[in-house]
Amino acid sequence: MISTGSISEGGSVGDGGSVGEGGSVGEGGSVGDGGSISERGLISGGVFIANRGEIAARIARTCERLGMPAVVSTGDYLDGDAQIAQARAAGATAVHPGYGFLSENAGFARAVIDAGLVWVGPPPEAMEAMARKDHAREIAVAAGVPVVPRGEDAGFPVLVKAAAGGGGKGMRVVRAAAELEEAKAAAAREAASAFGDDTLLIEKYVERGRHIEVQVFGDSHGNVLHLGTRDCSAQRRHQKVVEEAPAPTLTDDQRDLVQDSAVALARQVGYTNAGTVEFLLDEATGAAYFLEMNTRLQVEHPVTEEVTGLDLVALQLRVAVGEPLGLAQEDVTFTGHAIEVRVYAEDPYAGFLPQAGTASLVRWPAGARVDHALESGQVVSTSYDPMLGKVVVGAADRETARRALVRALDDTAILGITTNTGFLRQLVASDEFRDATVDTAWLDRHEPARPDPGEARMLAAWAQRLADPSYADSGPFAADGFRIAGPAAPVVIELDEPVVLTGEPPTQPPTARVSVHGVEIAHRGQRFVFTRPDPAAAHETVTDGTVASPMPGTVLDVRVGEGEAVEEGQVLGVVEAMKMELALRAPYAGTVTRVAAAVGAQVALGALLFEVTAHE
Amino acid sequence: MTTLRELSDELRERLATVRLGGSESARKKHTDRGKLLPRERVDRLLDPGSPFLELSPLAAYGMYGTSVPSAGIITGIGRIAGREGVVVANDATVKGGTYYPITVKKHLRAQQVAADNRLPCVYLVDSGGAFLPMQDEVFPDREHFGRIFFNQANLSARGIPQIASVMGSCTAGGAYVPAMSDETVIVKDQGTIFLGGPPLVKAATGEVVSAEDLGGGLVHATKSGVVDHLATDDADALRIVRGIVDTLPSGLGLEARSARTSPSAGTVPEEPLEDPQGLYDVVPTDSRTPYDVREVIRRIVDGSRLQEFKQLYGETLVCGFAHIYGYPVGIVANNGILFSESALKGAHFIELCNQRGIPLVFLQNISGFMVGREYENGGIAKDGAKLVTAVACSVVPKFTVVIGGSFGAGNYGMCGRAYDPRFLWMWPNARISVMGGEQAASVLATVAGRPEDDEFKAPIREQYETQGNAYYATARLWDDGLIDPVDTRRVLGMGLAAAANAPVPAPNYGIFRM
Repeated sequence: MISTGSISEGGSVGDGGSVGEGGSVGEGGSVGDGGSISERGLISGGVFIANRGEIAARIARTCERLGMPAVVSTGDYLDGDAQIAQARAAGATAVHPGYGFLSENAGFARAVIDAGLVWVGPPPEAMEAMARKDHAREIAVAAGVPVVPRGEDAGFPVLVKAAAGGGGKGMRVVRAAAELEEAKAAAAREAASAFGDDTLLIEKYVERGRHIEVQVFGDSHGNVLHLGTRDCSAQRRHQKVVEEAPAPTLTDDQRDLVQDSAVALARQVGYTNAGTVEFLLDEATGAAYFLEMNTRLQVEHPVTEEVTGLDLVALQLRVAVGEPLGLAQEDVTFTGHAIEVRVYAEDPYAGFLPQAGTASLVRWPAGARVDHALESGQVVSTSYDPMLGKVVVGAADRETARRALVRALDDTAILGITTNTGFLRQLVASDEFRDATVDTAWLDRHEPARPDPGEARMLAAWAQRLADPSYADSGPFAADGFRIAGPAAPVVIELDEPVVLTGEPPTQPPTARVSVHGVEIAHRGQRFVFTRPDPAAAHETVTDGTVASPMPGTVLDVRVGEGEAVEEGQVLGVVEAMKMELALRAPYAGTVTRVAAAVGAQVALGALLFEVTAHE
Repeated sequence: MTTLRELSDELRERLATVRLGGSESARKKHTDRGKLLPRERVDRLLDPGSPFLELSPLAAYGMYGTSVPSAGIITGIGRIAGREGVVVANDATVKGGTYYPITVKKHLRAQQVAADNRLPCVYLVDSGGAFLPMQDEVFPDREHFGRIFFNQANLSARGIPQIASVMGSCTAGGAYVPAMSDETVIVKDQGTIFLGGPPLVKAATGEVVSAEDLGGGLVHATKSGVVDHLATDDADALRIVRGIVDTLPSGLGLEARSARTSPSAGTVPEEPLEDPQGLYDVVPTDSRTPYDVREVIRRIVDGSRLQEFKQLYGETLVCGFAHIYGYPVGIVANNGILFSESALKGAHFIELCNQRGIPLVFLQNISGFMVGREYENGGIAKDGAKLVTAVACSVVPKFTVVIGGSFGAGNYGMCGRAYDPRFLWMWPNARISVMGGEQAASVLATVAGRPEDDEFKAPIREQYETQGNAYYATARLWDDGLIDPVDTRRVLGMGLAAAANAPVPAPNYGIFRM
């Protein structure tokens, strides 16, 4: 039930999935031969992965399949020199940056190459050309790729964003000319602090758009081809949440346009290795505009692997050592549909607040490809990217894949920390997602409704029941609610509220942790914690506001006056008795209505010293 | 004639009515105050799904010319925090939870069960005290109200925990239930404890005081020290009680527990091969029609297996070893009138069980010992006495189920109520009296010199008919309750499990007249 394996150990990733051991990608497949790469000794020392988490595991798995040693980095993933030193120390001959961190840092790429190592990525020049959005746009225009109308001509609304940025930082929508200057100033400040570069872009803002992207690949022999489209419209504040391949809503013309444009752009910039060209499709007009090019392997690359049967990491390694792709465009075939969701440690029902803690129990679904690096017992901290893993499902068509993904998310259970799995399940199961009407701003317009805990509570009660040793008792005191010559008594399980057990026990035991404090359970991906009332907890005893001397003694201090407002627990005065100083505290917040104590006065046991009247 | 199945259906109906408790308006008044009904309290006190071996739910049935369901008190054995315990819960919806004479008897019986089986006691108190109009039958005598507290002190002295939760009134003598307990809970703004309530205080001293100021939860938890725990509501109180029971040492005398009153090692409990539902058809509707009691035994014991003792001797009494839920038992069952041989066989068998520490189960269906010159001259009285001596001096747990008639000295020899069986249950077809109505009418008519006077005999027959009825018996606590025959195995099993909490001493007997 609990996935304990890791990617390299033949764990849940790839079990039943298409990547990795036993999977369909590469295994005698079309990519074919990484064997030759290591044979030539070009990557004989192995691949250093300057990254962590699921992507490091993902890359390592392909390396292992290809018979190459893989070394995963430790430490500061943003310190390029340290990473190169590590790679050298490990005897690696190639560096794969994964995504994020140093992956789009051309300086790092150059340093890797200068160090005599193989850089698994595009040429630094291409990275630089695409990193600056204004420059990227010029290249796109030169390549005949449609771009978003820019500047004042575009007409409001417009988007102001950092030229160097990504991930939503420094972005602002401006709907009227009057707001423009202020927005520009703010965006520039954010851009400067986030990217160290305050150059801005201003362009037409598409109110309802779809995020379409094209996976491209080039080699150093002049071959550039595309691996089809992806749709990543389900985004929250410009962060992708669900991705799928192929893009479901495109007309043939639109698809041809974006694919051809992506290849043309890559050619224009002399691109090699894996890249992604992003477009914004205006739902109102059907026009597609070039957004940017990501010069790295994308988080969502698995959906492309699912529909093409290709191992993109293997292709990257192949191209990186100067081998030809070994594929022509017509060799790339597309089968079925794949959808990926990103599982984050965040609470969608509390403003998507990042969550930290120990993932006490992790169960990834069988029958789906899961790229993850989260095991039971692992500590999740807020100081890293909150993505815990990706659940990917491929099937013959979109609806079949969607339904299979819903089932996979039903089977995903993470306890100990709250994740967005339940929210993802809800989203993928929604009519809007089914009908592919979720545009890029849809999630920002729709506050997710917290799921009703009723069903989960009943399951939690069953989990509690099944965990009770008396449940299996078949003796005369079997826990069947027996009553003499009458109907059995209802079984009531105390959780946050009493639950009368109904129906039959669940056929599949729910994923739950039962303790004296309550039951924690995952239901339809969502984590619920039902806490039992604690009879040992302090019971409130105070009803009147009089404060009397607890011992015979002397009043040492009087700290309040009549009419003064006090907080609960505030010290009103001090009495000394038996060599101890006893603080007299307000039983609750209110107003001091009586002070009968005077400093130095001898008081008897139980003498009334203060009276507090509660605020009404 | 009414079939056994019909009688059982009638029992279920009557129990269903009684289990509602007081009138609808009384129940509404109770629940409107945020209080749980007493049976809900019991259910919530017990472990989820715990069975409840309720004792005498039909107590007071038809006794007082007014409805006093269950005598206004619920008693029985259930599992609390994984262990068996005795629960005594007042039903304030029945006459304010006041004690009728039979209520006192029922409360004392529950304490007896706790004493015999070494089970902790939990009292859920919500009672106005003695039912004043009947104070002469409630207050003064040895087995009256005061005995409750005498028992609490002595049970506690024997290491049998006494725990009380005050969930309503607890007035006058009733105040001693929590005060005499080892550990006590009270529900805030709901439970009150005082020797004299506000009206009595005003009458006695002129002091005017509210019930809450006189003896409310806060007063007793913070000032008087009469209670140890202050609960916010019924559910909280019950949780606290469960927590208290959880702290009790495991086994109150269990360390001395006889291995032989526990399920036999290596014995896997198995259901009877014969379906217990068949009991309805095995027992003839006409009680005068003989049948083989082995057909009853086969529907009660594990695997329907009975290892008979002296099968070919004294055949009107069936004796043998069997298991119920894995517990070894010696079964003594009537299969006709008792003769000298059957009495001797029974005495021998009972001695065997005591020697071996095996609990006894009596299946009682007896019209009496054989009478007549031949038998009297043959010494049936001394042979009957041997059986009675063996039963009386037995140290192993005894369980009696009256499955038919219980008449005359047969009642004694077959472990009637006077012989301290741990539990005595009756089937709804059972009849109990010193002799049959017809015989009693004839004897009395003869003594009166009117042997043929039917007008004289009719009311006597009528009296015996009424008083011999199982409902008449159970109302007066001559038993621990009427049971549906199909539940016999389960009920015996629970009794055996409860009895296994107490150690068994070495056997010793009075003089057997030879």
